[in-house]
Amino acid sequence: MNSNLAERLNELPDLLSGHVLLSLAAITVGLAISLPLGIFAAPRKRFASAVLNIAGVIQTIPGLALLALMVPLLGGSIGYAPAFMALMLYSILPILRNTVVGLQGVDAGVVEAARGLGLTHGQRLWQVELPLALPVIVAGIRTSIVWVVGAATLATPVGAPSLGNYIFAGLQTRNWLSVLFGCLFAAGLAVLLDQLIRLLEVAARDRRKALAIQVSAILTVVILVSILPRFIDFAPPAQPNSPQQVASVRAGEGALRGETVRLGAKAFTEQYILAELMEDVLNTAGADVERLDNLGSTIAFDALRNNEIDAYVDYTGTIWATVMNRDQAINRHAMFVQIAAYLHEEYGILTLGRLGFENAYGFAMRRDQAEALGISSLADLATHANALEVGGDAEVFTRSEWINTRDAYGLAAMSTRAMDATFMYDAVRDGQVDVISAYTTDGRIAAYDLQVLADPQGILPPYDAIILLSPEAAARPGLADALAGLVGAISDTDMREANRLTDLERETPEQAAQWLFGEITE
Amino acid sequence: MNKPDQPVLELRGVSKQYAGGVEAVRDVSLTLHAGKLLALTGTSGCGKTSLLKLINRLEEPSGGSVVYEGLDVRQSDAFRLRRQIGWVMQGDGLFPHFTVRQNIGVVPRLLEWDAATIELRVRELMQLVQLDVDAFAERYPHELSGGQRQRVGVARALAGKPDLVLMDEAFSALDPLTRDDLQRDFKRLQTELGFSAVLVTHDMAEALILADEIAVMRDGEIVQSGSPAELMANPVDDYVSGLLDTPRRQMRAIAELGG
Repeated sequence: MNSNLAERLNELPDLLSGHVLLSLAAITVGLAISLPLGIFAAPRKRFASAVLNIAGVIQTIPGLALLALMVPLLGGSIGYAPAFMALMLYSILPILRNTVVGLQGVDAGVVEAARGLGLTHGQRLWQVELPLALPVIVAGIRTSIVWVVGAATLATPVGAPSLGNYIFAGLQTRNWLSVLFGCLFAAGLAVLLDQLIRLLEVAARDRRKALAIQVSAILTVVILVSILPRFIDFAPPAQPNSPQQVASVRAGEGALRGETVRLGAKAFTEQYILAELMEDVLNTAGADVERLDNLGSTIAFDALRNNEIDAYVDYTGTIWATVMNRDQAINRHAMFVQIAAYLHEEYGILTLGRLGFENAYGFAMRRDQAEALGISSLADLATHANALEVGGDAEVFTRSEWINTRDAYGLAAMSTRAMDATFMYDAVRDGQVDVISAYTTDGRIAAYDLQVLADPQGILPPYDAIILLSPEAAARPGLADALAGLVGAISDTDMREANRLTDLERETPEQAAQWLFGEITE
Repeated sequence: MNKPDQPVLELRGVSKQYAGGVEAVRDVSLTLHAGKLLALTGTSGCGKTSLLKLINRLEEPSGGSVVYEGLDVRQSDAFRLRRQIGWVMQGDGLFPHFTVRQNIGVVPRLLEWDAATIELRVRELMQLVQLDVDAFAERYPHELSGGQRQRVGVARALAGKPDLVLMDEAFSALDPLTRDDLQRDFKRLQTELGFSAVLVTHDMAEALILADEIAVMRDGEIVQSGSPAELMANPVDDYVSGLLDTPRRQMRAIAELGG
């Protein structure tokens, strides 16, 4: 078995159990709300159409947006709570709609017969209307299950582990096996649950007790086996770290024994590698590490502010623009000092220090195209602006970096195209876009022979990587000390190489982190 | 408690006005004695079905009173009242997810009879309506013919041993042969068991054959009531004689054939 597959299988118990638990909780509560609501609404035409409209509007909100919206709505908390709320809301419509439609569709003659024979309202509902509407209601439950199990993959960016971790991480590190793994398991789970519920319905309809018992047993086993890892720790004992670690990182060895540290990471290669690196360092110090990967950019900061994660790596330019809302860049050293002071005063967040490398936005284009057009700096782009297209990740075009650059260098005529950061390097190499908003530490800049355009007016802010500790983590003795060995330890070259190993050499972030660990402890 | 001369059912100046202002039943008074069959007839929309539903409180009257076995129906619990009164509806109204046995046993179950008594009653009724117990008890309605379904409907109405049975166009949807069969069987059952019945039908021939008394309705009012013979002899107006025309013509035509 190759190591990639082994790694993926290793993650499966945790991710599958998270996924199943989350989906199941959402559907159960969704059912407990939508079924009684549907029963109440069915005979009340106006009320029914009102609640169906509301549920319908919720349904039209794209899944990812609904999940993301739940984070601020729940006061910035991440993890299970927002994911559960969003999926629960998502599960309501199909069940509600089918309950209403199913009950309203029961033959009026049969309902009148029930009244005429003297059945009470409750008897009519339980003995006649619900049994006759059951196939339609079950169809709604099945739709709901398929939707929720599918949409639960989107729980990953709000910090709830799910099979989506495979997909998001795989997308960022171009690990297609991982993406496929996530898709297959999520789809397989949806189909399996759907079919088991269908069999349960068949058993109920044909009054086949034996079948009902068998299917319930299978369903129980499937659910129990998949959620068991959540309650029992099967993880093998942590492997001892390689012997090549040296004094600077060993200083705090054992200092954090028995403590648990929660590390966050945003959804791109460099973040995975740095989180792995911090995990290695913390393990050396004896701490147990929990990881929350694939967090949305601002979600990671919110999680830290609320002490839901203890530490993660962010970038000065990002904090400057999205947290402090400052739109003019200043000198990188001054910026670091101001950020550290601001975060400490406002939130009690400790800015541990700069890792040493800078991962800035830099506008890059193919070297041969740049030379042909005589472009070497952003200022040269203006004359070709209306013929060029710039690609970038989803957030860059709304951020001051692009807006200020565009305005300062007169690039308003350039057309823009947003895409996932993973794809933009290939896109510019293949000529699908002309310029991209590259990350300067990305290994593909060198590998694809891209030229980063100069910024003579100093518009683009510096992006020093910094380790941030949450207010609670800042107060924990030993944690800052354990991580302090990383400050100033990673050069631009090392980071670029580690990214390249993952993105281009198909090494895992774990392997790249180990390489980096080796470099910095030499 | 039921005195021999006390009517089973008395309607006293009953009216029904629906929410939209439509007056379906206007000041109707009728009396039904024990063991008799009353037919309510008239053209579509004349108010005969509305009147029927006022008897077991499927609808509430807006004026007047309905007295069942000496008691105003508004004084009894509607659900208990409906379990006491048999109900056969148009298009059978059987529960599609219940077997024949379960359908017939609905009212006895609601009356909380014990299982053995219910089983005996179901068998007895299936024999009465001439359905073979072994062949039909476990079948679902969709596995029966229209005539068989209506027989189950009649059996279901009689299962709770009612003194009064209400029938809303119970035989209308059947083919003539099946209808004739069922009508005769029903008449026989009524004579044997001695219950009273109110039969709503738009088919004047059916009313003439089955009823002890016929009430002809138009626009929510009783135009004429009396025995079949009285109606045939003295229709009060063109509307009533028009309704009687069809069966009369058919009788004459058939008589001529017989020579």
